[in-house]
Amino acid sequence: MDAKYLALAQMAVGGGLMGMAYALVAYGFQLTYAAGKAVNFGQGELVMLGAFAGISLSGIGLPYWATVLGAMVAGAALGWCIERVAVRLALQQRNEGWILLTIIVGLFSLSLVENIWGRDDRPYPTPWPAEALDFFGISVTWPELAIAAGALGIMTLVELAKRYTMVGIAVQAVSADPDAAELCGIRSRSAISLSWMVSGVAAAFAGTVIGPVTTVGPTMAAALTLKAFSVAVVAGLDSGFGLVLAGIALGVAENLSGYVLGSGWREAPGLILLILALSLRPQGVFGKKIIRKV
Amino acid sequence: MKASRSILAVLLATSFSSVALAADVVKIAITGPFSGGSAPMGVSMRDGVKLAVFQINQRGGIVVGGKKMKVELVERDDEGKNDRGALIAQEISSMGDISAVIGTVNTGVAVMGDKYYVEKGIVKIITPAAGSASMTQWSKAGVKDLPIFRFASHDGIQAQMVVEKALRLGFTKVAILHDATNYGVSGRDDLIAQINKQGNKLKAVAVEKFAIGDKDMTGQLIKAKAAGAQAILIWGIGPELAAVASGKDKLGFKVPMIGGWTLSMSNFIDTAGASGNGALMPQTFIEDESIARAKPFIQAYHKAYNVSRIPSPVSAAQGYDAALLLAEAIHEAGSTSPAKIKVSLENLKVTVKGAISDWKKPWTKWNPLNVETHEAFRRATTVMGKVQNGHVILANPSEKFVLEGATTN
Repeated sequence: MDAKYLALAQMAVGGGLMGMAYALVAYGFQLTYAAGKAVNFGQGELVMLGAFAGISLSGIGLPYWATVLGAMVAGAALGWCIERVAVRLALQQRNEGWILLTIIVGLFSLSLVENIWGRDDRPYPTPWPAEALDFFGISVTWPELAIAAGALGIMTLVELAKRYTMVGIAVQAVSADPDAAELCGIRSRSAISLSWMVSGVAAAFAGTVIGPVTTVGPTMAAALTLKAFSVAVVAGLDSGFGLVLAGIALGVAENLSGYVLGSGWREAPGLILLILALSLRPQGVFGKKIIRKV
Repeated sequence: MKASRSILAVLLATSFSSVALAADVVKIAITGPFSGGSAPMGVSMRDGVKLAVFQINQRGGIVVGGKKMKVELVERDDEGKNDRGALIAQEISSMGDISAVIGTVNTGVAVMGDKYYVEKGIVKIITPAAGSASMTQWSKAGVKDLPIFRFASHDGIQAQMVVEKALRLGFTKVAILHDATNYGVSGRDDLIAQINKQGNKLKAVAVEKFAIGDKDMTGQLIKAKAAGAQAILIWGIGPELAAVASGKDKLGFKVPMIGGWTLSMSNFIDTAGASGNGALMPQTFIEDESIARAKPFIQAYHKAYNVSRIPSPVSAAQGYDAALLLAEAIHEAGSTSPAKIKVSLENLKVTVKGAISDWKKPWTKWNPLNVETHEAFRRATTVMGKVQNGHVILANPSEKFVLEGATTN
């Protein structure tokens, strides 16, 4: 392949793999939106907390897989907490206070992390080999592959669970119509609580796979939340694998424009994509148009 | 009522006692980034200064006009942010009782904030910020009387050494990578000027920038690789330098990184891990106890802060020596007035034995046409360091004599 195209391909592949990380964080938005029609604007901070939980566990000598599991448990607990303290009351009173409350919880965790772990970025130790893999001249590192595999893996697992387990079907029922679900004997409150826990698990897991690539620091959340939110909005808040496609598209577009137009233009395509998606298909590229019958 | 009156009495008593104390102390401010990407430099510099001050106070303080005065420190964290640094400079310069300031890591902070010190005539020793702009701004403005001194091997020297090194290694084509801050941009300009000055034997085949916080440097590196660069000359700080090192590994782009002294920062060395090995950078100090001059300082630092490795040894040693020089200047001035301290810094009589060197009249009367008058370091006092397995060692062991060196200037 011509060196010029090879370079573009390298940038696209790197961007696409990073895009999977955006998709994984965006998936967390989708889970809670499906069940309770609310999202966590501090999702990026959950990713960061997950990464810091993992790093701390690895600091006491646990192997990588154990730090991932530990972070996921912490993520579940945090997700549950956020729903309980910040979202439930606001939703019961049918106001939009949860937007502000989830942002506040995010800011609070940022200060907490800065005070406990400091403001510095630190590497996340992994067992992966240091050498990069070579596919037809395109280099891919193990941590990048781990993001892709992890994102697809956890999303597949949750989607399967949603379709084929009793609990999953119950959550879907609540998502479709909470009142009808209640009449069928499903406790919608528990279903929503559960979806926030799963969302927390996804975020913390994301932290443990993104951390090795980007290093872990209190500010890692800020950029992630915004990009993941763009991905979620572009893909639509109810399409499972549309997220992956939108995430990859954003990652590729970012890297290519950074490469071709200069590194200062990296963030531009994401925002343009977001504006286009909102004006042309407000329900999301892969979203279903909801027809409200009165 | 009774309780409030007794509280008032206590308050009055303590406020009087602090006034009484204030007359017997020399107040020195330390500013720098104690958090964020530049923190290893800021924290080490601060701790180096504090170590010197602790030792001075243990001996009873500085003898000023026949009276022993203890040193009191004021610390401010500028987080490496220009605007915050400017606010801090405003605050400190309006405190009224600060004799001198030591600090600043980020060139942009010096560029934004030092004017407040110059306005009030407060003495500042810049260390370890190396960017050329922090001193050249005053020669460009034609300031006649300058209370700002630098105690760091500035980027002019460093760029010269980096280009020399690249030429000595036999390279002809290099890529210049730099961050988009004042430090990175002025480093790029210094490198290009040096390439020119040393006969244009090097060709910069790619000049690429990156932003603070960037983690993915593949784009810049692909361009450097495609252009056939044999080495990367780089100006940035720890986290981004590490991202470049790992990106280089990812692409199998096995060329050396030669750059500013920031390549010795712990957050570069730790984050880059094995991919950081072999990086070359100018150093004024190496954390190596086999250097007799450095040993007492290294041991005292390790003991005082309970570490086995100084996060940024250069910053720590420079902070330490700068504090010793300042103390000597205050003693020679016989006064805590910044104006008098400035004059005695320009005319130091006694040779100060530091961790880096014996400092014999490091600065002279400011001449706006020659920034070297307020620069303490020269090419001859700076060596090349190399990253090896988590430590910075001498790139060329035969240069050890420079660090043992008896006198400077």
